[in-house]
Amino acid sequence: MIRAPLVKALGALGSPTHQIASRAVRTSAVVAQTPAKAPEKIEVFVDDIPVKVLPGTTVLQAAAEIGVEIPRFCYHERLAVAGNCRMCLVEVEKSPKPVAACAMPVMKGWRIKTNSDLTRKAREGVMEFLLMNHPLDCPICDQGGECDLQDQAMAFGSDRSRFTDINYTGKRAVEDKDIGPLVKTVMTRCIHCTRCVRFASEIAGVDDLGTTGRGNDMQIGTYVEKLFLTELSGNVIDLCPVGALTNKPYSFVARPWEIRKVSSIDVLDAVGSNIVVSTRTNEVLRILPRENEDVNEEWLADKSRFACDGLKRQRLIAPMVRMPNGELQSVEWEGALIAVAKAVRNANGQVAGVAGQLADVEAMVALKDLVNRLGGENLVTEQDFIKGSGIDVRSSYLLNSTIAGLETADAVLLVGTNPRYEAPLINTRLRKAYVHNELQIASIGPNIDLSYQHENLGADASLIKDVCSGSHAFSKVLEGAKKPAIIIGADLLARPDGAAIHATISEYCQKLKKPDWNAFNVLHNSASQVGAFDVGYQPGLQRALQGQPKVLFLLNADSGKLTRDQLPKDCFVVYIGSHGDNGASIADAVLPGAAYTEKQAIYVNTEGRAQQTLPGVSPPGMAREDWKILRALSEIVGKPLAYDTLDELRSRLDDIAPHLTRLGELVPASNSDASAQTTPNKSISGGAIDVKLKELRDYFMTDAISRASPTMAKCISAVNKQQRQNEEAKQSAAI
Amino acid sequence: MLTNCAAKTLSVVRGSLRAIATSSAQRSDNLFVHRDTPEDNPNIPFEFTAENKKRVDAILSIYPEGHKRGAMIPLLDLAQRQYGWLPISAMHKVAEILGLPNMRVYEVATFYTMFMRKPTGKYHIQVCTTTPCWLRGSDAILDTCKKQLGIGVGETTKDNKFTISEVECLGACVNAPMVSVNDDYYEDLTAKDMQDILSDLKADKISPPGPRNGRFASEPKGKPTSLSEEPKGPGFGLQAGL
Amino acid sequence: MSLIRQVLCRATPTMQFTARWASSQDIAPIDLDKALARPEDVEQRNKLSGKITVPVAVNLSPISGVPEEHVKERRVRIHIPPKNAMQSGTDNINTWQIDFDNRERWENPLMGWASTGDPLSNMNVQFGSKEEAITYCERNGWRYYVDGELKEKKERVKNYGVNFAWNKRTRVSTK
Repeated sequence: MIRAPLVKALGALGSPTHQIASRAVRTSAVVAQTPAKAPEKIEVFVDDIPVKVLPGTTVLQAAAEIGVEIPRFCYHERLAVAGNCRMCLVEVEKSPKPVAACAMPVMKGWRIKTNSDLTRKAREGVMEFLLMNHPLDCPICDQGGECDLQDQAMAFGSDRSRFTDINYTGKRAVEDKDIGPLVKTVMTRCIHCTRCVRFASEIAGVDDLGTTGRGNDMQIGTYVEKLFLTELSGNVIDLCPVGALTNKPYSFVARPWEIRKVSSIDVLDAVGSNIVVSTRTNEVLRILPRENEDVNEEWLADKSRFACDGLKRQRLIAPMVRMPNGELQSVEWEGALIAVAKAVRNANGQVAGVAGQLADVEAMVALKDLVNRLGGENLVTEQDFIKGSGIDVRSSYLLNSTIAGLETADAVLLVGTNPRYEAPLINTRLRKAYVHNELQIASIGPNIDLSYQHENLGADASLIKDVCSGSHAFSKVLEGAKKPAIIIGADLLARPDGAAIHATISEYCQKLKKPDWNAFNVLHNSASQVGAFDVGYQPGLQRALQGQPKVLFLLNADSGKLTRDQLPKDCFVVYIGSHGDNGASIADAVLPGAAYTEKQAIYVNTEGRAQQTLPGVSPPGMAREDWKILRALSEIVGKPLAYDTLDELRSRLDDIAPHLTRLGELVPASNSDASAQTTPNKSISGGAIDVKLKELRDYFMTDAISRASPTMAKCISAVNKQQRQNEEAKQSAAI
Repeated sequence: MLTNCAAKTLSVVRGSLRAIATSSAQRSDNLFVHRDTPEDNPNIPFEFTAENKKRVDAILSIYPEGHKRGAMIPLLDLAQRQYGWLPISAMHKVAEILGLPNMRVYEVATFYTMFMRKPTGKYHIQVCTTTPCWLRGSDAILDTCKKQLGIGVGETTKDNKFTISEVECLGACVNAPMVSVNDDYYEDLTAKDMQDILSDLKADKISPPGPRNGRFASEPKGKPTSLSEEPKGPGFGLQAGL
Repeated sequence: MSLIRQVLCRATPTMQFTARWASSQDIAPIDLDKALARPEDVEQRNKLSGKITVPVAVNLSPISGVPEEHVKERRVRIHIPPKNAMQSGTDNINTWQIDFDNRERWENPLMGWASTGDPLSNMNVQFGSKEEAITYCERNGWRYYVDGELKEKKERVKNYGVNFAWNKRTRVSTK
């Protein structure tokens, strides 16, 4: 346990349950079996174990292949190598000085000793230096229990202190910086690993953090009084190895050992980032990212991370029925379900359903089955999409290049979308491609600030025709690229001429298509959209309203697009959802459902990957899982659905669309021509292309959960305050 | 007295019975964060003068394309010379010229102590107080400065004309004690010399820099001790056989 | 059986023991069973050696003491626990673990601790491999699903020199 590298190196003695040994064997076996590809692998010895690595691998990576983990603070896989913490110093035979394992590329025949006396002395020395100026904050530090410094001090540090300076000059103290309502800074604890600086510069693209001063007086901060306002600011909390940058809403709430962790999926945008929901005593305390190389790497956008306190506010905890005086009255489940059943029986088949942003696939299937059995056909999504049969072909509404694939693209055209605020983690991929792959990006739409340089071609809708006909300068770029991609925003396709835009671009993408690469991509902004289309929902409220429904089911439909006066006077609106937002306020019956952290549900992300959320807590009050409500309702109405358990429902999902139960896998959609299926080419009307989420201020509140979150409200007010201060200062200077 | 003894014994005991004498660490009194003040905030416009703009272009031409970042220190120095000190808007201007984010310029400007980020007087009196100068009486020089100008170390006079700072060795140890005013060294000083220099500067008359006691650079006072005769011809010092 | 054999069995794995004996004495290892058995025992053993094995899946749920509702209605998730995002240590991300579906927990009015009516709420057993976990679940009669696979670590190129690359975009300007 202590001196871990030694144990791992002597893997042969391990029991069968000692996974490290077998994994080491497997990886080196794989390495040995792969045919020698150019360049040839070189052999080095790590703790006397031979390992063959590609030339250019660092000592730290070579050791990691064996399973030996060299301690480090500043090295991070996804950031540039800094080499400034010096904790990774290891001895290399015949070298007078220890080498920084994270930066030193291996040479042939090196014998690397990760547990020799020199190495141990180096580690103890570095740890001693780090702890000298580190305050004794462990009892009040949020990182206690999950702190890299604590773990490495225990494992690699010396057991006694020689720090006598405490009686003379004391330790260094640094003032705290205010960088926003999300990240709490206690800069005295900072060990200057510069991970946050590198993250802000490389991944987030905002170079706001830096190291000012030098030596003992070095401070990490923004130098001027600036807030760290980026949609990825919460990731520095994960990166910081000590408690210098911590989660402000979560400060002093819980210790990591009393937390229960449940793996789940985030639904506040369409990326489907993998998260870990941390709970205690049936409360969701915080949300952390989980590593998924194909979706979110290990980052998480701010809204997904911090909006979890919206799960406790504005919750529907009891079924409600609207009384004749217009008020909603809490009733028991039976009462509510019977009221709904009565309305349904009187509806005589004129039943419709609307699925909102946060609706899960199981509930949507249950609703569709129920409505179909009652004789209705109109099941729609709140977010509009192209009309016509455009959604029959799966590839016409997916992000076909896949999120991981966009990293390898070399020419991208963004049409009517701002990925920075609609799907921040897709924007990081584009930025990665921009940095490493010489990606050329152009956008058609308003002038937006992406975190990388791009060319704005203009906002005119006719530009789409120009580019797709090949006459624009950027078309040459797209056609000459090895992996071109065109990303269309979902809001753009909701316009009346959306079908024409879709058809034009889709046709052009047939030209850009490569084997294994589909250039046509749609970026959705709601987590339920792709799932709804996969299950058979039609886009747009118009269809539902056309049928003059007598009973309208709203499944988490909260975006405010539907108002009471659009509906016929005698329409009975049933709202099934978790928050009392726009949907519940127009409803005649409110059936409280579960939020995404409270149910086991499948969501399909914008690239078509089905993933499931798992319940970390139970729904509050009398709320129940959505599909169970619909099952109970179907029983009372007299048309019971065919499934009683989640497994049976999942097998029904399997019948409808097999990819829905293949969780975590990406089933590639066909590469066929989607445009042939859509309505004939109508002309693209000239309206300028606009994007809904232009600034950071628009990013924070986009759905029911984030609208209910006080943290999101604080973020918006911080952004506003910063802007107001800037404007006031400018005005006073002008005067 | 008793408490003093107790404290002393306690400190000795705490120091594991070793008698350690440490001086207090002199941390920099520079502030490494920026606070907006009326004189120093991002909304005060800063522009290089026309002549300096030509200098900017000349400096930028030294560095190859893609590595213009190397011009940061010369440009910051130029801005400091133009303005007297380095305001935050000058840093923003340099960042704009080089196409870099502001933070990178802040990092460089705070790293080097010669970039004055606070309003500095027209004449920056830097008194060297390290060992050679101290041995030769820099204390008197510093006291003279402080008394005559009426400010302490690190402070600026009200009319923004003088700033006194104590600096490390400036490399003129042979001519100790010395001060540096902006870019000029005044060496071999006595207190009287310092007073003269300061009164001259008050009248905006810049006295000739260099040693004040009459010698030329670091030459010995009086006759030179070397190079006093013609150089010896070839064959000097060789044995007869060669 | 023979007392000596029982003692020996409890002490060390027999193979190791006999191996050590063999190397120090340089004679063939003695199987104590055969050496000390009586002729009647030898006969009995010969009769029993021809066994018929009937393939029956082991189901321990009737005797394991787990109430039937917690066998029939619980679903087990076999997975590898994700790495803690706040730390960079990777020592504990290679073990498989089983988790039961989360049931309701509430705050106990006495002390504010978490109460639950679910006896299996804290049951997470760790295994060395997916197969072991599956065997365990099958033996206990639980319905299970395997969530995820052991992910191969992606080989990433990390080079300090790239920070100073001539190519402008990968040059790192931070420390």
